[in-house]
Amino acid sequence: NLMTDESPRVPEMATQEVQPNETLTHLKTESDTLKTKLEEERAKLHDVELHQVAEKVDGLGQFIMKTRRTLKGHGNKVLCMDWCKDKRRIVSSSQDGKVIVWDAFTTNKEHAVTMPCTWVMACAYAPSGCAVACGGLDNKCSVYPLSLDKNENLAAKKKSVAMHTNYLSACSFTNSDMQILTSSGDGTCALWDVESGQLLQSFHGHAADVLCLDLAPSETGNTFVSGGCDKKANVWDMRSGQCIQSFETHESDINSVRYYPSGDAFASGSDDATCRLYDLRADREVAIYSKESIIFGVSSVDFSLSGRLLFGGYNDYTINVWDVLKGTRVSILFGHENRVSTLRVSPDGTAFCTGSWDHTLRV
Amino acid sequence: MMSSKAQSSNNLAHARRTVQQLRIEASIERIKVSKASADLMNYCSEHARNDPLLMGIPASDNPFKDKKPCNIL
Repeated sequence: NLMTDESPRVPEMATQEVQPNETLTHLKTESDTLKTKLEEERAKLHDVELHQVAEKVDGLGQFIMKTRRTLKGHGNKVLCMDWCKDKRRIVSSSQDGKVIVWDAFTTNKEHAVTMPCTWVMACAYAPSGCAVACGGLDNKCSVYPLSLDKNENLAAKKKSVAMHTNYLSACSFTNSDMQILTSSGDGTCALWDVESGQLLQSFHGHAADVLCLDLAPSETGNTFVSGGCDKKANVWDMRSGQCIQSFETHESDINSVRYYPSGDAFASGSDDATCRLYDLRADREVAIYSKESIIFGVSSVDFSLSGRLLFGGYNDYTINVWDVLKGTRVSILFGHENRVSTLRVSPDGTAFCTGSWDHTLRV
Repeated sequence: MMSSKAQSSNNLAHARRTVQQLRIEASIERIKVSKASADLMNYCSEHARNDPLLMGIPASDNPFKDKKPCNIL
């Protein structure tokens, strides 16, 4: 308090006279107090570990998973892929600017588009199956309607939807073809109207590049989770733009986030070589999937249909399969000849697809 | 270059946002890890038999099982 005994009582407005540093100190103290309180509240409910509760669950046997299809055609590193809801088509994007739509059953290429930029880091299939979205170093997310006419030039119908001030790292349609959610190296996520290109909501809170996002299963309401170079995973309310929960236990960039099928939890994969499971209702990390022998970063994660298995694609070219409940690794899969950069389980859970820096995709 | 006054009011705004954000996060309702774990386990067991990658699928139902190659030129 800067007022001395001699000075008259000053009106409200004079609080502007108070040194900013003073208020800053107050805020810092309150911030530290809240952080401590947060940790205490979370710790109070930490009565047991997930893997302990899971001891009574039957263990999983040996898993034999084979590569059934190899999709060849990209001329450079595959960076991203997504499944169509029809469970057979796949869209993939690569460093050389190509976006390809495949029929994974036959391995035929159905469409191909060359983007005006390299490093197309993000691609997504529209729920209708009639369009794909993609973007990367162009800082944009563009939507290409897929024509039934194989000879039609897809690039002609391209629609620019999202504009960021740095690279596009991930994109996803919401539950319709009408809206797209994006994440960017500019540290923000954003929700866009596809038809008009209008920004509907922006999400600020990450302190560095946002690398990944995943929408909550539709039954659980309008939220999504994002992960970034600030080592944080944030859960957002799509309508208000508010960050409602934040988790910071990883020791490095979070490259991938994926909701558990019930929507009550999500998994993350990081450059710290671990995958982790965060339960949203307990508001804390409840499992770490790691081994001393695994020292390379995780680029992408996804769950099997029941949520019992977690698949992780790693920078050491392998795929590790984890028992989500027990925390143990159940299988390690080899096949790619370079980093696994992207991994998604098919919509009906019969297969999963991986994309790699070795230019191929495998199903 | 920001004047030091602008810089400190920036820091102030950032600190206010941080405190506001933490207040929201601190106020949410939480459940015990034991309850959360039980729910995760229940979900897994309820859906296990419909999880093809977990259970394996018979070759006849596997859309990706190798069939006789068919060349379409």
